Amino acid sequence: MSGKLTKASSASSSMLYGSVYSAESIKVIAESIGVGTLSDDAAKELGEDISIKLKRIVQDAAKFSNHAKRQKILISDIDMSLKVRNVEPQYGFVSKDNIPFRFATGGGRELHFTEDKEIDLSEITANNAVKIPLDTTLRSHWFVVEGIQPTVPENPPPLSKDSQFVDSVNPVIKLDQGLNKDAAGKPTTGKIHKLKNVETIHVKQLATHELSVEQQLYYKEITEACVGSDEPRRGEALQSLGSDPGLHEMLPRMCTFIAEGVKVNVVQNNLALLIYLMRMVRALLDNPSLFLEKYLHELIPSVMTCIVSKQLCMRPELDNHWALRDFASRLMAQICKTFNTLTNNLQTRVTRIFSKALQNDKTHLSSLYGSIAGLSELGGEVIKVFIIPRLAFISERIEPHLLGTSISNTDKTAAGHIRAMLQKCCPPILKQMRPHPDIADEYKSDFGFLGPSLCQAVVKARNAPANMVTISSNTINTAPITSAAQTATAIGRVTIPSSQRQGSPVVSTLPQIRALQSNQQPQKFVIVTQNAQQQQSQQAKVVRRGSSPHSVVLSAASIAANTSNSNSSSGSGNVSNLNSGGSLLSSRSNDNSTLDANSLIIETEIVRAPPELDDLTHLE
Amino acid sequence: MSLEMSNTNGGNGIQRSQDKRELLCLLKLLKKYQLKSTEELLCQEANVSAADLSAISETDVQQVLGAALGLGEGEKEPPRPAPVETKQTAVTEANAAEALAKFIGDDSFDAQQHEQAYEDLRSFVEDSLDIYKHELSMVLYPILVQIYFKMLAIGQKEKARAFIEKYKSDLDGYYIEGLFNLLLLTKPEELLDNDLVVAMEMDKFVIRMSRDSHSLFKRHIQDRRQEVVADIVAKYLHFDTYEGMARNKLQCVATAGSHIGEAKRQDNKMRVYYGLLKEVDFQTLTTPAPAPEEEDDDPDVPDRPKKKKPKKDPLLSKKSKSDPNAPSIDRIPLPELKDSDKLLKLKALREASKRMALGRDQLPSAVFYTVLNSQQGVTCAEISEDSTMVACGFADSSIRIWSLTPAKLRTLKEADALRELDKESADINVRMLDDRSGETTRNFLGHTGPVYRCAFAPEMNLLLSCSEDSTIRLWSLLTWSCVVTYRGHVYPVWDVRFAPHGYYFVSCSYDKTARLWSTDSNQALRVFVGHLSDVDCVQFHPNSNYVATGSSDRTVRLWDNLTGQSVRLMTGHKGSVSALAFSTCGRYLASGSTDNNIIIWDLSNGSLVTTLLRHTSTVTTITFSRDGTLLAAAGLDNNLTLWDFHKVTDDYISNHITVSHHQDENDEDVYLLRTFPSKNSPFVTLHFTRRNLLMCVGLFKS
Repeated sequence: MSGKLTKASSASSSMLYGSVYSAESIKVIAESIGVGTLSDDAAKELGEDISIKLKRIVQDAAKFSNHAKRQKILISDIDMSLKVRNVEPQYGFVSKDNIPFRFATGGGRELHFTEDKEIDLSEITANNAVKIPLDTTLRSHWFVVEGIQPTVPENPPPLSKDSQFVDSVNPVIKLDQGLNKDAAGKPTTGKIHKLKNVETIHVKQLATHELSVEQQLYYKEITEACVGSDEPRRGEALQSLGSDPGLHEMLPRMCTFIAEGVKVNVVQNNLALLIYLMRMVRALLDNPSLFLEKYLHELIPSVMTCIVSKQLCMRPELDNHWALRDFASRLMAQICKTFNTLTNNLQTRVTRIFSKALQNDKTHLSSLYGSIAGLSELGGEVIKVFIIPRLAFISERIEPHLLGTSISNTDKTAAGHIRAMLQKCCPPILKQMRPHPDIADEYKSDFGFLGPSLCQAVVKARNAPANMVTISSNTINTAPITSAAQTATAIGRVTIPSSQRQGSPVVSTLPQIRALQSNQQPQKFVIVTQNAQQQQSQQAKVVRRGSSPHSVVLSAASIAANTSNSNSSSGSGNVSNLNSGGSLLSSRSNDNSTLDANSLIIETEIVRAPPELDDLTHLE
Repeated sequence: MSLEMSNTNGGNGIQRSQDKRELLCLLKLLKKYQLKSTEELLCQEANVSAADLSAISETDVQQVLGAALGLGEGEKEPPRPAPVETKQTAVTEANAAEALAKFIGDDSFDAQQHEQAYEDLRSFVEDSLDIYKHELSMVLYPILVQIYFKMLAIGQKEKARAFIEKYKSDLDGYYIEGLFNLLLLTKPEELLDNDLVVAMEMDKFVIRMSRDSHSLFKRHIQDRRQEVVADIVAKYLHFDTYEGMARNKLQCVATAGSHIGEAKRQDNKMRVYYGLLKEVDFQTLTTPAPAPEEEDDDPDVPDRPKKKKPKKDPLLSKKSKSDPNAPSIDRIPLPELKDSDKLLKLKALREASKRMALGRDQLPSAVFYTVLNSQQGVTCAEISEDSTMVACGFADSSIRIWSLTPAKLRTLKEADALRELDKESADINVRMLDDRSGETTRNFLGHTGPVYRCAFAPEMNLLLSCSEDSTIRLWSLLTWSCVVTYRGHVYPVWDVRFAPHGYYFVSCSYDKTARLWSTDSNQALRVFVGHLSDVDCVQFHPNSNYVATGSSDRTVRLWDNLTGQSVRLMTGHKGSVSALAFSTCGRYLASGSTDNNIIIWDLSNGSLVTTLLRHTSTVTTITFSRDGTLLAAAGLDNNLTLWDFHKVTDDYISNHITVSHHQDENDEDVYLLRTFPSKNSPFVTLHFTRRNLLMCVGLFKS
C-alpha cells in the first residue's frame, strides 16, 4: 500500500471519476513482486478493478472516521473497513500524522511517493528513557454563563485578531455593522427585532467604552500588581496580561497607563518602575489575542524614551539603567518586526531617529548608547549601514572619557558601555564586510580609538565556530556590578522567551527587585495608580467613540502646552480631531522624525508633571 | 449462531410443519450437542415426549441429515437478516447474465435512442411552465441513473460516463455524491454488487407530484411516444400524486435527496402515539400534549409576566384527563418500578422543580468538559441522566467513567460483607458500597474495537456500550465489570440507546438493521429492517414505544416497538443522518446530518417542520432543554448553536411557517438564538441537567 503510485495522467482528469491506476503503475507493481510479463490488457483491467476496490474501501473508511467524530481518515479506519470486508488488515502501518506524499518528476513522468526513512535500531534501543504518555483527564470550564461566553483562556477570544485588525484599520466599519452585529457580541434581545419593524431614523450610535465592574477591578489589580512591590504577584499579573484573551476592551487604558507612567517616572528617574512598565509592554506584545497597532502611538514613544533618555535613574554612575535600555531596545525591535508595514514604515522611522542621534555630536553619552543598542537590535543590515560608518565618530567621542581625561565618572562608565556594546555587535558584521587579513593599523585608521580592540574581536570571531558569534540578544549584558546590576540580570532573564515569542514572560522568583523597590519612595508609586484611576473615572464620564486616542491627544497637547518645545506640540494638536489610531500614529511619528533624537528626549524630560496635570478633568 | 438467527426469524414455525421424524432427529441432535434450553423449548412446542425421542436411533439422524444436506444448504440456512442481502446473494448465485438482462430490458438496446429520449425529456422539463418545472425536474435524476445502468449493463462504459458527464450539471448538488458512487462502476457485473443500484432496482423511486404536473408528464410521454422513458417510468418510478398546487423549488428540494426518492404518503399513514406515558405512581410526571402552549399574539413581548411561565411548564402542571395521543401504559410491557427506582424518580422530580426556565431572554449556562491527552481518540461521550457521571468511549476500545460530582465511584462490598447487611434497612443502597473503594475515574476494558457509543441506564446502575467488534456490552456500575455481551449484529455497531423506562435498549449497525433488545435476553426482540444503508444512529421515544433511526441512505424512520413495523419515513436530508433527538413533548424529532443541516420533523404526520441551517460541518449531537423550549446542537465545526424551539413549534402550529416561507425570507436566523464557538474543540456530546444547565463534552484539537 505504501508502494509507489503513479498517477494516471492519461485517463479522465475529471473530478467526478477521480483517478484510476494506470496500466504502467500496475506493471511496475507487478515487477516489484516478481511478475515480469503482464499483458497490457491484464494490467488495464487490473488497474480499474483495484481502483474501484480501493475507492470502496476508502468510502467505508470514511464511515468509520465519521462515527469516531473525526474529519480525517486514519490508517486504523482503513484497517477497519478492510476487516468489514473480511480482508486481512494491513498490520504495521501505523502513523499518527499525515504521511506527506513527495512528488518528483523526471523523464516526462510524474511520481508520487512516501519517504521511508531508515531507522537506526541501535539508537532506539540505546534511548531507554521512554516517556510514559500522559493520562487522559477531564477538565471543565465555563463555556457560557447565562448566554454570555466568559473570556477565559479556554474559550476563543471574543474578538478575533482579524476583526481587531479590521477595526483598527477601518473604524467606520463598526458603524456599518451597527444593529446586526449583535449576533456575535451581546445576546440578542427582543428590542432589536422590534426596532426593525418601526420606522426609525438611524442615529449614529455612541460607541461606549465602559468597563464592567469586573474589568475595572481587574484593571486596578493588574496595574497595581505590575508596579507594586510584590514580585510573585507581578509575575502572575504579567502572565495574565500575556495570555488572557479578551483584554482588548481595556487595552486603551493599559496603554495610557504605560505611557503616562513612563512620562512621570522618567522625570522622577525611577528606574525600577520604568522596568516594570516595560515588562508590561512586553506582556501585551506577547499576548496572542491582542492587536496593538491602534496603540503604538503611545507605546513607541514610551519605549523609545526608555532607550534614549538622557537619564533614567537617580545615580547614573551606579544604577544599571543599561539593562533597561537593552530591554527596551529588544522590545522596539520586536514592535518593528511585528507591526512594520509598507504604509507605516515603522522600522524606517525608528531607525532614522536612532541614526540621527549618532550624527549629532552633542548627544549625551547615555542617549548615544541607547541609540546604538536600539540600532543593533534591528538586525545586521542596520548595523552595517548605520553604525559601522559612524564608528570613527563614536570612537572620537568616547576616547577622552576612556583615556581618563574626563572628569565625570558617569561619562566614563557610559563610554565603557558603548565600547562593550560596539564590540559585541560589530565584529560579526565587520567579519563579513572586510577582507580577510585583519590588520590592526587599518582598523585604527578606519575606526579610530576603537579600531584595535575591534580588530581583535573580529579575529576572534573568525576563529570561533560560526554559531558562537551570532548576535544574541542575551549576550549584551556586560554591565559592571552596580547596585542595580541584579535588576539587569533579572530583566535579562525575562527576555529569554523573547526569542520564542509564544512564551509569556513568567518570572517566578525575583527577590532582588524587591530590595531595590524598598529604596524607592513609596509616593511615586501612588502617583501612578492615582493617575490611572482618575483617568479611568474621567473616561467613564466622557463617553466618546474611539476613546483613547482622543483623551491621549488631549493629554499630549497639555503636555506640549507646558513644554518649552512647541515644535512637537503643533503636530500633536493637529491630529486631535482624527479618529483613527493609525493616522494619529503616523502623524505623530512623522512629526517626531523631523526632530533629532535630542529634542525627543528633551520633550519627555521637560515634562515635570505637576500634580494637576495628572488630573485631566481640568481640560474639559 | 444459526440457531439464534432462526429463532429471531420465527424459524420454529418452519420446523413444526416438517415431518415429525425429522423433528425428532433434530431433537436428538440438539441433545447430542447439549443445547438443552433449545431442546426443552422445542419439546414443549412440538409436544414431543422423551419416549418418542429415545425411539430415534443415531442412524436415523444420519439419514435425515444426509437428506437435508442433499437438498442444499439454502433451505436449512436461515435467511440473512437483511432482505437486500438475500436478494444480492441470490442474484449473484443466479446467472449474472440473466440478471443483467433485466437492466437492459429488451435486446434491442440503443444507447443513442436513450440519450435522445433523455434529451427530449430534459427539454420538456425546461420548457414547461414555471409552476410545474421544479416538480417535473425531480424525475430527471432517477431516469438519468436508470439509463446509465442500462448503458453500463451492455458494456458501453465510455458512453455511459460521457452521458452522465454531459448531464450532471442539471442535477442538484446533493445528488452528486450518489452519482460519484455510481461512477465507480465500470463493469456490468459490478452493477449487481452495488447497494445503490440494488436499492433503486428493488424499490421504486418515489416522486411526489401534484396531479397537474403528473398528468402533464404523462401526456408528454404519450404524445411524444417516449417509449424508452415510459418503460423506465413504469418499471422504476412511483408517483405519489396529491391534489393542489405544484410545489416550488424550495419545497421540492426540502424533502428530496434520499437514495430512494421521497416518502410515500402511505409510509406515514399509520397512527403514532407520540404522547408521553401517564406515569402510574407520579401523577405529577405526566405531560400534556404539545398543544400550542399559549395564545399570546406576540410571544416576544418582553414585559410578559414571568410568573406565567412556571405554570405552563409542562412537566410540573397536573393534567387530569389523559392525553389522546399517548399510548396506553401497557401497550408495551414496562418493568415494574422498584422502591429504589421510585426514590430516584422522586429525587429527579425534586431536582426538576428547581429548574431554570429557559427562553429567548433567559439563555442557559454551559459547562465544557474537555478530554485532555486523548490523542484524538475520543469516539463518544455520554453524561448520565442525573448528570453525576460521564462515560467516554475511546478508539483504543476502552471506556472511561468519570464522576462529575465530589461523590466517588464506589464498588460493591465483598460477598461475605454483603451477606451480613440488613437488606431491609433504609440506607442499604449506601451501605452495600465499599467506602474504601472510591475513585474518581474507572476504566472498562473488554471491547476489541473502537467504542462508538455508550448509554447509561435510567437507574444509573448499568452502562451499555457498542463497538466496532460488533458486540454490545452491558457493564455494571456497582461491580464495575462486564455483565453481558450481546452478540447479534454481525458488523460494527454504530449506536446503542437505553429506553427511558429502562429494560429495553436499541442498537443499530453497519449491517443495515436496528435491533431492539431487552437486558435479560441475549437475543434481539425485534429486528428493524428497511434501511438501505448503514443505520447510523438510533433514539428511543420518550414513551418507550417507538424508536427512531437515521441512516446513510439519508432517511429517518420511526419504528413501532410493538409491531416492529416502520411507521414513519422521513426524507429531506442530503447526507447520512448523524444525530437524533426527540423533543421533550414527544411530538417532534430533530435530526442532524453530515450535510450540516438540522431538520425538525412532526411525528404526528411525518412532515418536515423546518430546516435549521447554521453549522458548517457534521452535526454530531442535538439535545432539547428539559423544559422543551430550547434546542442545542453542536458539531465538528466547533460551534454550539442554541435555537428557539418554542418559537418553531408556535409558528408551526399556527401555520406561520412552511418550508418555503421560512427560507424565502432569506432570514434563516429567526430561530437561532446564539452561536458559541469553542476553542478548536469539536463537540462530542451535549446534555441538559435537570436544572437546565447545559453540559458539553469535547476534545481539544491541538
